[in-house]
Amino acid sequence: MKNKLLYLLIISTFFSCREEINLELPTGEEKLVIEGKIEPGFPPYVFITKSQGYFEEIDSNTFSDLFVTGADVWVYKRDAILGIIDSLKLEEFDLSNLLAEESFTPPIYTNFTNFNPSFSQPGYTYKLSVVWNDYNINATTTIPNITPLDSVFVRQTEDTTDSYKRCEIRAIYTDPDSSGNNILIMSRRSEHWIIDEDQYPDIINDFDERLLLIDCGPDVLINNSTFETFFPRPSNNGGFPNGTYRTGGMKIFIDSITNEKDSIFLPNDVVILKFCQVDKSTMQFYRDVVRNTNAGGNPFSEPSNMVSNIEGGLGIWAGFGAVYYKVPVIIDTVILDKTEFEFPNDIFNIL
Amino acid sequence: MKKIFFIFIISLIYSYKLLAQSYTISGYVQEESNGESLIGVSVYPNSTNKGKGTSTNQYGFYSLTLEKGDHEIIYSFIGLESITKKVNLQNNLEINVSLKESNTLLKEINITEDGLDKNVEKSNMSQVKLKIKNVKSIPAILGEIDVLKTAQLLPGISSGGEGNSGLYVRGGGPDQNLVLLDEAIVYNAAHLFGFFSVFNADAIKDINIIKGGMPAEFGGRLSSVLDITMKDGNNKNFQVDGGIGLLSSRMTLQGPIQKDKSSFIISGRRTYVDVLSKPFLNRKDPETGEANPFAESGYYFYDLTTKLNYRISNKDRLFLSGYFGRDVFNFSDNESGFGVQIPWGNATTSLRWNHLFNNKLFMNSSLIFTDYRFEFQIKQSDFQFNIFSGINDWNQKTDFLYIPNQKHEIKFGTNFTYHIFTPGNATGRAGEVEFASDSIFRQKSNEAAIYISDDFELNDNIKINAGLRYSSFQHSGNINPFEFIKNELNLDTSNHYRHIEPRISIRHKLNTSSSIKASFSQNYQYVHLASTGSLSLPTDLWIPSSKVIKPKFSNQYASGYFRNFKDNMYETSVEVYYKEMNNLIEYKEGILPEDNTNTSSDNSFTFGDGESYGVELLIRKNSGKSTGWIGYTWSKTTQLFEDINSGNPYPAKYDRRHDLSATLNYQLAESWMLSGVFVYATGNALTIPTERYVINGEIYTQFNERNSFRMIPYHRMDIGFTYDPINQKKFNSSWNFSIYNLYNRKNPYFIYLDVVNSNDDVSGSIQEGNITPKAYQVSIFPILPSITWNFSF
Repeated sequence: MKNKLLYLLIISTFFSCREEINLELPTGEEKLVIEGKIEPGFPPYVFITKSQGYFEEIDSNTFSDLFVTGADVWVYKRDAILGIIDSLKLEEFDLSNLLAEESFTPPIYTNFTNFNPSFSQPGYTYKLSVVWNDYNINATTTIPNITPLDSVFVRQTEDTTDSYKRCEIRAIYTDPDSSGNNILIMSRRSEHWIIDEDQYPDIINDFDERLLLIDCGPDVLINNSTFETFFPRPSNNGGFPNGTYRTGGMKIFIDSITNEKDSIFLPNDVVILKFCQVDKSTMQFYRDVVRNTNAGGNPFSEPSNMVSNIEGGLGIWAGFGAVYYKVPVIIDTVILDKTEFEFPNDIFNIL
Repeated sequence: MKKIFFIFIISLIYSYKLLAQSYTISGYVQEESNGESLIGVSVYPNSTNKGKGTSTNQYGFYSLTLEKGDHEIIYSFIGLESITKKVNLQNNLEINVSLKESNTLLKEINITEDGLDKNVEKSNMSQVKLKIKNVKSIPAILGEIDVLKTAQLLPGISSGGEGNSGLYVRGGGPDQNLVLLDEAIVYNAAHLFGFFSVFNADAIKDINIIKGGMPAEFGGRLSSVLDITMKDGNNKNFQVDGGIGLLSSRMTLQGPIQKDKSSFIISGRRTYVDVLSKPFLNRKDPETGEANPFAESGYYFYDLTTKLNYRISNKDRLFLSGYFGRDVFNFSDNESGFGVQIPWGNATTSLRWNHLFNNKLFMNSSLIFTDYRFEFQIKQSDFQFNIFSGINDWNQKTDFLYIPNQKHEIKFGTNFTYHIFTPGNATGRAGEVEFASDSIFRQKSNEAAIYISDDFELNDNIKINAGLRYSSFQHSGNINPFEFIKNELNLDTSNHYRHIEPRISIRHKLNTSSSIKASFSQNYQYVHLASTGSLSLPTDLWIPSSKVIKPKFSNQYASGYFRNFKDNMYETSVEVYYKEMNNLIEYKEGILPEDNTNTSSDNSFTFGDGESYGVELLIRKNSGKSTGWIGYTWSKTTQLFEDINSGNPYPAKYDRRHDLSATLNYQLAESWMLSGVFVYATGNALTIPTERYVINGEIYTQFNERNSFRMIPYHRMDIGFTYDPINQKKFNSSWNFSIYNLYNRKNPYFIYLDVVNSNDDVSGSIQEGNITPKAYQVSIFPILPSITWNFSF
């Protein structure tokens, strides 16, 4: 954020001009990219893709070619004293059977059939092994112990005067009395009612398709503190915009036929909040994700690669000590208990 | 080394033998019109050639020991009228001299501050003095006169990029330069993120740049010394100077407090883009009548330079000088409640005492305070986050100059600095809850040095400047001067680094106008600048050496051939150098400065080595209607870090294969002067991604070879005209018209990559399944005319 501001200042202060240039760059060696996650009570799942040359174009065909199929994928559960105590083979699974609306659904490696919820537990370490062609990939992560939020509540923003009565989600959190409790926060608007632009006055649910990253970082500054915080609505690609949520309210619009003002009642937003403890390498990876989103290619930062815990590849194998809160955006709602998501019914809430 | 030491001792003993038949003339030389002490005035007896004389030091003091008898002593300084004093030397004499501007030379330009053939005569090499008058005549961006940008035009010194005032000397980084303002260290010498230097040219008297063969009196940095001396202040008459430019205005007041005894100077400048833009920012939206949410945003910098001097007696003189400068950047969006404020800047204070023990022994003792601080305050709604870093130095140094006779000039002294580093402290607030550590994290350290050097003539042809510097750095334990001395006496190594740094320069004179020189210097640096960016930004942290962070050190070897033509009208030199640098420091990949908030950052770094070698050519025309220089450097700088670039060597980001600069000043008419600059440099090295990959629908890039890509070469021409009417009486004014980037070259400031969709106008995304990566070059300074009005009364 800092560097981006400096960059914006410099560019706006002077008389900059921009032009497209051609760069002739060598293409690097193709690598496997892992995006794997594991959290309590749910089976681990992994996406496997390939890296490609920077200036190669992507269209719908080449995009699907990026995904790796036919890999041999295993997850090993390890106890600090006993060593490996369990294992689970992940099978290729076609999500499109379950998600009808998606035009292309990437293959995912998981195991819904032989999975026992006791496999994924806080306090254990999980080793991921991927073998595909000549690639042999290993990575290790831990599911940290869970520290839930003290409470979550909804408060109307002070400077809002519009009919939506915009709100923000706030929380009280007590950080444990030990350092290294890294935090990762995600959210998803599971319900967001808007007027259908094409078919007034119909209203439709324009929900987020997946959980979006809000922020991730260490607890250096907040260690052992109890404090109030707020979770802004993330932008579509994650990040930290000053977004607010919509409570139910009257929406005024111009009727396209009568050309007169009309109004319609829009129900509240409903938000799923995911609050996690993560290990250090997971924190560093997702902090890099936030940094990439915020910096947007800041030309003054020394270029550095994303931190990765994947040996022999790129990406992340992440363990989340996660709790969930389902928050209806109604003014002054207070939620003291987490929402219990269970396998297999809530599997799509956690993806 | 032992042999040189032996020669030195023999030579010293021999010189004492001479002493019995000799007497000493000493004193100060000043400029008649304003009483400013003159640095580098040649003082020599007519009976011998000018190489047998001496020159005035930083305070205008000289000491010349000659045999008993009649002598004609010549005081010569380019641009001023030489004078000759006849003396019958029967005892020690004190002669203070005032030189006045030469009528015949009044309009002739001279660009060297050194005396005739001094570049050939002196034993030191790789040193350049810049004349402030010449700095002022060189065209500048928006008319802002800049000492550092002029220094970048010299061979061996390159800039960080378009408009950047950072100095990269012989492959060294910006933290490897010892930047001194009246002996106080300036830690960040740039305003506006590096575009302008902090030095106000109106208050500067002398600029000495040392890029190799560093004399023993300087230390603590690997690459260079930029030694800037401020004016003392006119002790004859009250004087006002000022200037109004497009970016800033400045004013200098100076005058006697007690005529010929004490004087003052105060000089300030401020940018006013923020003031001029205020009415536009405050304007309400004509349609909605709403106030502009960004009305509180703006940027400005200012600096203030002051100096007082008081002549207590002929033997004692006091100087009190100070600098205070700040950059302030505000961004505020009242609608969203988002705001950022970034103030940063330097403050320095130097109290110095000159004392003359006798006509051969001069002392300067200084007490110096330096402060550099950077703050970053960001707020969003009822959340606030502050991070601040900085460095404070308390420095006491005492330097002696002992001139036993014409053959020796001995310098010795001590330097002690108490550093307080605040490497990155953060506080935060969420509503009513404050996040702050119990105490501000600070790292303290002691740095000390003692040195001795002798600049001596072995025979008519060979002159040697040999010195030793012992440096010591206490990084932990009980940090106070007493503990430091106790540890030194016990030679306790647990909390200390100690090193002996040999320095030597040798000149062999081939004839009166040519010489060859060689030098070797070993330097240790105990403080480091940790930078996360490719440019030197105020966000960079100064950190001390510690148990983990070892001092960096360099060995530099250089040799050169120096030749003057046509009575010093043309100076030429060729220098070759090789420099190895060890224990260089970089952030580990993936580390962010905030990782070390309120704690030591020792584990954030990786360490490596570097080497640089090159050839530098300088051709300089010193006098006549047209003057100027052409400097060319061929160089190569590489670095090797185990944790960077897979452990393979890579070009340093300031590596430049070719660097050419040419400057010209031409007296068109009595009142009109034309000046021009042309620069050409190999493009900056930068790291470009070679691969990309997708995670969670987002595109990320993978970099392989660091700094393996080159921007297109940088070149630019600037011209300027100065109209300075002659025969102005009480009120003098001049106009400067300059054009920066005359032929509107689009030099790259940076290159960035983006993806676009089929419409080619917005960023594409992976979800659309249709993206094309593109590369863009951003240039910032097109052709830029400017006008500055300067006045003086």
